[in-house]
Amino acid sequence: MQYKSQAVAKPYFVAAIGLFVGQIVFGLIMGLQYVVGDFLFPALPFNVARMVHTNLLIVWLLFGFMGAAYYMVPEESETELYSPKLAIGLFWIFLVAGALTILGYLFVPYATLAEMTGNDILATMGREFLEQPLLTKIGIVIVALGFLFNISMTMLKGRKTAISMVLLLGLWGLAIFFLFSFYNPHNLVKDKYYWWWVVHLWVEGVWELILGALLAFVLIKVTGVDREVIEKWLYVIITLTLVTGIIGTGHHYYWIGAPEYWQWWGSVFSALEPIPFFAMTVFAFNMVNRRRREHPNKAAVLWALGTGVMAFLGAGVWGFLHTLAPVNYYTHGSQITAAHGHMAFYGAYVMVVLTLISYAMPILRGRAANSPRAQVLEMWSFWLMTIAMVFITLFLTAAGILQVWLQRISTAPLSFMATQDQISLFYWLREISGVIFLIGLVIYLISFFVKGESRVGAQ
Amino acid sequence: MQVDLSLPPPRYLAGDLAIWIFILAELLAFGVFFAAYAFTRARHPALFEAGQQLLDRNAGAINTLLLLSASALVVRAVQGAARGDGARAAPWLLGAIVCGLAFLGVKGHEYALAFAAGVNLSGGPFQMFYLSLTFFHFMHVILGLVILAVLWHGLRRGHYGPGAMNGLESGAAYWHMVDLVWLILFPLVYVIH
Amino acid sequence: MSGTFTKSMARNIFYGGTVFFFLLFLALTYDTNQALPKRDNSQNLTPEVIAGKKIWETRNCIGCHTLLGEGAYFAPELGNVYVRRGPDFIKAWIQAQPTGAPGRRQMPQFHLSDKELDDLVAFLKYASEINTANWPPNIEG
Repeated sequence: MQYKSQAVAKPYFVAAIGLFVGQIVFGLIMGLQYVVGDFLFPALPFNVARMVHTNLLIVWLLFGFMGAAYYMVPEESETELYSPKLAIGLFWIFLVAGALTILGYLFVPYATLAEMTGNDILATMGREFLEQPLLTKIGIVIVALGFLFNISMTMLKGRKTAISMVLLLGLWGLAIFFLFSFYNPHNLVKDKYYWWWVVHLWVEGVWELILGALLAFVLIKVTGVDREVIEKWLYVIITLTLVTGIIGTGHHYYWIGAPEYWQWWGSVFSALEPIPFFAMTVFAFNMVNRRRREHPNKAAVLWALGTGVMAFLGAGVWGFLHTLAPVNYYTHGSQITAAHGHMAFYGAYVMVVLTLISYAMPILRGRAANSPRAQVLEMWSFWLMTIAMVFITLFLTAAGILQVWLQRISTAPLSFMATQDQISLFYWLREISGVIFLIGLVIYLISFFVKGESRVGAQ
Repeated sequence: MQVDLSLPPPRYLAGDLAIWIFILAELLAFGVFFAAYAFTRARHPALFEAGQQLLDRNAGAINTLLLLSASALVVRAVQGAARGDGARAAPWLLGAIVCGLAFLGVKGHEYALAFAAGVNLSGGPFQMFYLSLTFFHFMHVILGLVILAVLWHGLRRGHYGPGAMNGLESGAAYWHMVDLVWLILFPLVYVIH
Repeated sequence: MSGTFTKSMARNIFYGGTVFFFLLFLALTYDTNQALPKRDNSQNLTPEVIAGKKIWETRNCIGCHTLLGEGAYFAPELGNVYVRRGPDFIKAWIQAQPTGAPGRRQMPQFHLSDKELDDLVAFLKYASEINTANWPPNIEG
């Protein structure tokens, strides 16, 4: 560890992994509810489990991003963090607020929670992914501003690299576009239109800047390739990302009441969205092939390459599958969407955070890399989780194709629930894949506790 | 202008690789949009025929000349700078900017008439494509002009010359792309029936 | 073939391209806002509809259902449920939950008053009259 204050990243990473486990457990519960409908009902209705599943995902990724920034920015800026105390304080505020929110979801009826937390003053709740009570949303903004202040001040007093600039831009964008979560017009079309300014402009916009910065940082460290080379490709890739992704928002505007030209604008630009993801994959493999050193942390290299491949498959290929308006007309709001969502989130954001954790955590614990035994275990967890996610995606895709056929294309369309009964086999297979994912995750956790000395000392 | 033909042409890419990647991405976006236009036109030939009758082909032709002139002027400026005569080459660039502004004026006039006639993005496939393609290009002309203005400023200050041509060549390449796209757009939307 | 590839050029293109495409997005958004009144059924945003939307939100309906195809995929699309089932069925259905049928997916009981049920139905009626470019493909959603 080059700077003492980088250590504040550690609790963020620990919290991220802890919440990740929670997310997967709730995912498995939901997967079972898909086939055993009354499982845990009425103690845990599906909508509550889903809210917990998706909100935990967002929160743990945010913990991951913040931890990554606290780790990376001092090293990039070549100076200590502006205020480690603020970072630790915000960590506890965010963790407690997050935990209280989840407990609120689980133990208070949602309508009561809304009343208790000021939803009558400003109604923002009850929209997908933005279910958080008003107080939590305000808390997120405060934490984000404190965090951005801390990171920006650190950068201002030190070296300004392309990687830290891109990271900072992504993080500021994240905070700014989150403000649209406070805008909830009565007009449902406008509500949906601007809802995507949070959701799409996050995951297919500013978050990709964060993704690119994290990946570039780890690639510089593990390959020893010139910063200059990596940074200029980073700029090129994120340019392609935003060129295609901003107007690509239009692929969400086909059927929600927006004007129909979005079918063309959205199709044309989102058809190009796989390109930056493909470029990122080629970039990651190229840099590793041109490596000038053998970094002892093989697991981190594996995660970095995996991020490139899986982000391309999940976001690029599975996104393209249903992004063209004539296709989307039939697939919109089906299990195809769920398949894409799962692999894209895992491949892009879960994996990049795990890449950074894999690289940074050993250093935060005083060694350049974990022992070979621990790394082998970590790589097992990589393959188990990744392959399980591939199968989850394939089974959901199969379910989606059947669903679209039975419910929307066939000459004698079945009702929604009749269709669900027909495709339950695939939901069972998805659930089995989910169990394998959990096994992979448990092995991942164990890998942190495997002893054995690393041959290389701390850097 | 003088070109020494006795030397083998230098084998190098004029301008920065980064701008070429960007240009390719832009051309791809335009290309897909053009293909979509052609595809839709084939499905609604009568509608497109009627829509195209309303376009002012003279204005389109003038604009084509303006952009071609601008591109030629940019070439003169680049050649001048390459000879080390940046300050004297700057007016060429200013001429290109004037041509580009004139393009915006003509196009803006066309838009004003079209909007007054009730043409809008939601007015059926032809109006949608006409406005989308031309407005997307229109914005590119604006961006191109911003770039040319920056280059003009730099040229006057002597930032470009032999061995320091990267910025100028990159900006010029971008401008030629904007011109090239119009050379496809104009016949496709205005002329071909 | 030799060539130049500089970080400063890549950076300038990134900033320029981002601003350019964001402005384009804002321009399209402006046009969308101009065009929406013809499509979004906002003339029927009555106090009942507005109250119904709040009930929709505070019961987290989106956690199981889709509305215009967005939401969870656990329960039927409700953007067109008003057309599919009609107001009386919707109210009776909500009041009859949960069915308690073993092994079947269950919908919670929300204890909505008659007024709240009417508001919710008004909201679903309003949603069903938005011009969604003919989506969903058929009445089953």
